[in-house]
Amino acid sequence: MSVDKARILVIDDEKVIRDSCKRILIAEGHIVKSAEDGDIGLSLFKEFRPDLVLVDLKMPGMSGMAVLEEIESSDANVIKIVITGYATVSSAVDAMKRGAYDFIPKPFTPDEILLIVARGLERRHLLLESEALRVEREMRRRNMISLVSHELRAPLAATVQYLEVILGGMAGEISSEAKEMIDRCDIRIKELLELLSRWLNLATFDPMKIAEHFQDINLSDVARESIEVLKSLAEEKKVSLSLDTPKDLPPIQGSKMLLEEIFTNLIGNAIKYNKVGGWVKVALYEKDHEVWVEISDNGLGMKEEHLSRIFEEFYRVDGRRNAPIKGSGLGLSIVKKMVDAHTGMIDVESKFGEGTTFKISFPKFNI
Amino acid sequence: MTQKKRILIVDDDPDFSTAIQKILSSANYDVDVAGNVKDGMQAIEDKMPDLILLDVMMEKYDDGFNMCYDLKHDDRYRSIPVIIITAVTEVTGLKFNPETDGEYLDAEDYVQKPISAEALLDKVKRLI
Ligand SMILES: Nc1ncnc2c1ncn2[C@@H]1O[C@H](COP(=O)(O)OP(=O)(O)O)[C@@H](O)[C@H]1O
Repeated sequence: MSVDKARILVIDDEKVIRDSCKRILIAEGHIVKSAEDGDIGLSLFKEFRPDLVLVDLKMPGMSGMAVLEEIESSDANVIKIVITGYATVSSAVDAMKRGAYDFIPKPFTPDEILLIVARGLERRHLLLESEALRVEREMRRRNMISLVSHELRAPLAATVQYLEVILGGMAGEISSEAKEMIDRCDIRIKELLELLSRWLNLATFDPMKIAEHFQDINLSDVARESIEVLKSLAEEKKVSLSLDTPKDLPPIQGSKMLLEEIFTNLIGNAIKYNKVGGWVKVALYEKDHEVWVEISDNGLGMKEEHLSRIFEEFYRVDGRRNAPIKGSGLGLSIVKKMVDAHTGMIDVESKFGEGTTFKISFPKFNI
Repeated sequence: MTQKKRILIVDDDPDFSTAIQKILSSANYDVDVAGNVKDGMQAIEDKMPDLILLDVMMEKYDDGFNMCYDLKHDDRYRSIPVIIITAVTEVTGLKFNPETDGEYLDAEDYVQKPISAEALLDKVKRLI
């Protein structure tokens, strides 16, 4: 868009106002369309894609305020100027709160409207410029993160691959003492790799982009598959796993990969922070137009004071270096982000020494 | 076994390739290594491997994808099984995800770096 030539939409029920706005603005070189009420105005808005909209506040049918709100929520960068016959301060202020850039009282002279439109278009120009900058900066940040993490991962992956060869005896005999130490190297580097990939996951997560690829998902399948993945960990820890789900659970809109991430993180934690002989129960059900997921365990539990902080990045109840159970402290913050991306809610209840329950609700698809 | 099977590794990390080569030759495969797409294509032409292990991210992040695409659209090489190696995991733009990157999934299988010797040999055995 150039500042001097813009697309302008006029929504006003008075023909005189529409015609005079058109005449004045077209003479200035702008492309102008007009509509006589809010409904027509909004459908025109969608196909015409104006830079600036002039809206009368008082119209029969859909009110100017409602039109304003619609436009604001569909594209906040479109400049909205309110035409008002009753230039009371309160209605103008109200309109500004709903995203209007300025207002012009009726009647107005050609110079008045030209001035206010010119200022509005300048504003539009600035908004678009800063939006473009923001997008570019964000892209650069993401590329940078991916690049750095790739550069960090590559040497670690090569090192682990060598350790795999040595530990597998494919490079000749090693003493049992050396083997023990190399085992530890292997474990420590794998922890670092895990930390890196979790951090990368968190840093590059873009909920808008993810939502574009949402599909109908049956959470029972996701739960079953996640449990399958974690079966061997549970057996190792002597923790039992169970799933309780109705046959006809309604689908939700989501990403299978992210939902699996949510389930494996929460079920994984419930196994990890458990005791020998403990259980982990996954329950799915429908309630109040929502699909609910409950993941509960009778493991270690947490004290009240930690509950509000466990969703923070890097927060761990037992700290880092000397913790008996290792972890990055990123799992739950990833879970929280992914639940948010599905417009879900997550909550936790826990009793120290008794167990923990995470509850998530997702909006049902097709209410 | 009549003749040793031949495997080509195309990866720009020589350490990683060396380690993988060790694992594969311990299981009695003949192994060749190429460090980039150009050498890789040359080696395929010269040696006609029975299987190719292909890193996706070499000089450019999609080098391996493109090479795989070329191989699978070339009548001479279409039938050689390809295992894609990825280093980038999780939900990034660079993640190789069989769900969404179906068009690239002309590859027979894929593995993530680093990989356990057992898992790698398992995948290879299933294909040749
Ligand atoms: N099911 C659970 N039972 C007890 N404590 C838990 C449970 N899930 C999470 N926690 C606590 O919350 C903390 C944060 O969890 P998380 O973000 O997944 O990181 P990590 O497990 O890598 O430390 C953990 O360190 C652990 O102390």
